[in-house]
Order: sequence, then C-alpha cells, then structure tokens
Amino acid sequence: MIAVLGLIVGVVAGLVVRPVVPTVVEPYLPIAVVAALDAVFGGLRAMLDGIFDDKVFVVSFLSNVVVAALIVFLGDKLGVGAQLSTGVVVVLGIRIFSNAAAIRRHVFRA
Amino acid sequence: MSDDTNPAGNSAEPEATGRQRLIAAVWPPRVTRAQLTVAVLLFVLGLGLAIQVRSTSEGGLLRGARQEDLVRILDELDDRSVRLEHEKQRLEGQRRELENSSDQAESARKQTRQKERELGVLAGTVAAKGPGIQITIRDTTGAVEADMLLDTIQELRAAGAEAIEVNEVRVVASTYFTDSGDSVRIDGHKVSGPYVFDVIGEPKDMEPALNIPGGVVQTLEKEQARVEVTRRKNITVDALRSAKRPDYARSSK
Repeated sequence: MIAVLGLIVGVVAGLVVRPVVPTVVEPYLPIAVVAALDAVFGGLRAMLDGIFDDKVFVVSFLSNVVVAALIVFLGDKLGVGAQLSTGVVVVLGIRIFSNAAAIRRHVFRA
Repeated sequence: MSDDTNPAGNSAEPEATGRQRLIAAVWPPRVTRAQLTVAVLLFVLGLGLAIQVRSTSEGGLLRGARQEDLVRILDELDDRSVRLEHEKQRLEGQRRELENSSDQAESARKQTRQKERELGVLAGTVAAKGPGIQITIRDTTGAVEADMLLDTIQELRAAGAEAIEVNEVRVVASTYFTDSGDSVRIDGHKVSGPYVFDVIGEPKDMEPALNIPGGVVQTLEKEQARVEVTRRKNITVDALRSAKRPDYARSSK
C-alpha cells in the first residue's frame, strides 16, 4: 500500500514541481524509466511468486537503470545510440511482457 | 539486468496463492522496511515517468532528439530558409517591378492631365487665369467692323496672347467674325459695343504691339472709336466652348 502511494506521490510531484532535468541526463531518462518499469514488474511477479526480497528489488532496480543508461551512453559514444536505445527498449519491453504474463496467470489464474 | 527470482526468498505462507499475497500486501497498510524501500524506488520511478511524459508532450520533438537528428533537422531548416530567402528576393523584385510600372503609369497619367489642361486652354474648353491686358473699345459711331476686331485678335496672337475672350465669347482657332448691321457676330453670337477683350499673355509684349504707329489702336481711333488698354496682374478668361470632334480631319499619326 505504501509502495503504491509512493508511485502516486512521485507522479504528482513530477507534474507539480516541474523539476529541471540536467541536459547531460536528459537523453538517458526515457531508457532509465523503461528499465525501472521492468524492475517493478519483475518485483511484482516475485511478490506474487512469494519470493520477493526488498534487497534484491533495490539492487535490480538500480542496476537496471544504471546498465540501461550505460548502454545508451556507450551507443552514443560509438555513434549507434539511436539503434542501441531501440534495442534496449525492445529487450526491456519483451521482459515486461513476459513478467506481465506471469502476473496475469497469478491474478486471473489464466 | 538482473532477475528478481531469488532462491533464498522467504515465503511466509507456502500454500497462499498469488492473489492472496497481493491483497495481503495492499491491505491493511503496514509500515515495513520492504514497503518503505519499494515506496522510495517507486517514487523515483513516478517522478522520472512524469518528467519524461511532460517534457515529451511540452518540449515537442526536439527535446528528446539525439544529436544526429538535431543536425539533420538543422540542415533541413537551413535549406528551407535559403529557399524561402530566394523566394522572398524573387517576390521583392516582382514588387519593385510592379511599383515601377505603376509609377510610370502614374507619371504618364499626370503628363496626360497636364497636356489636357494646356490643350484645353488653347481649345477654350477650360477656364484660364493669368497676367494679361484688358482692351475696351467704345464704338460711338458704329464704325467698328468685324475686320477691325479680327485685326486686333491677330495682332494679339502675334504678340503671344494665349487665351482671349471678347464680351463673354471665347476666341479659339475656329472663331470667325461677321458683320451684322450695327453689331458684330463672333462665332454666331451677336456682340455689340463696347467690346471688351480679356487677353492672357505677356502684357509687356502685347501692349506695345497694339500701340505701334499705324497699328490697331491708331486705326480704330481714326474711326472715332475710343480704345483703352490696361495691364492687369490677373485676368480671368472663363467663357467656355464645348470641345467639338472634327468630322473629317483625323490624326495622321
């Protein structure tokens, strides 16, 4: 419950406060958000599986974000930033879908 | 990227289903370490999500675009501005041409109007105003005849008269004088003495031309007519005649 509240508060804060994102971080923000979404779905699935561990969740969340940003950063440096970020989004999207399927099986038993 | 499957996970109720666990996690709210850490991370996620969504919808396409895209867009904009610059120059040239031609048309119209006024003075279709002389011929004995008036007109024309009016009759190129008993007809209009000539022209030229020995004035005075010639700063010739289109003569040009 508190976790859900945290998400809602975050969205509201982002809309109300309108923080300025430094330009250095700006290109990595969308990828980082997708990576974080992947971690959240993974965590949800683990919780439904009964194997949720907050330490693992924190580590996976942070590492997901950092690795995704790092891949995009590396791609930018190599001149294939656009393609690589597309690749990362595709991979994360597939993972989100598979996690969502597992969650669906738990919740709806179908 | 890590996976969240943890083999060392502590499952409190092994026989509970996923759905029950989900409900148990959501309600009743419990302040545990796990809940708080997840809340913090989800707060960060929500923040990033909101910022990203807002900047994408507000900043338009350019905000999230990468460098090579921006370079391409910039190139396209440069090309477009060059094209538009060319277009602008072309249109400005066109406008200049049009303005010039309308200026030319305007000056041509002005010249035509000027010419029309000048010719109107000669043809007697417009009123004229200017320095000149006034001649009054008082015919006491009825001896003044058409040919004397015609001589006067011719003398005045030779001296540079530009517009002439005799007793409210405009004298033009086609004007004719005929005798009619005691009086004279000018262009068919009956005119009787005293004959008043309003003449526009250079007074210094016309007055001596009339007064030369053996000239018009002496000839008239020999016939017992009294002639007065006065110089005027401002003579108005406002008798008009309508423009007549020639029946036979056509411009040969």
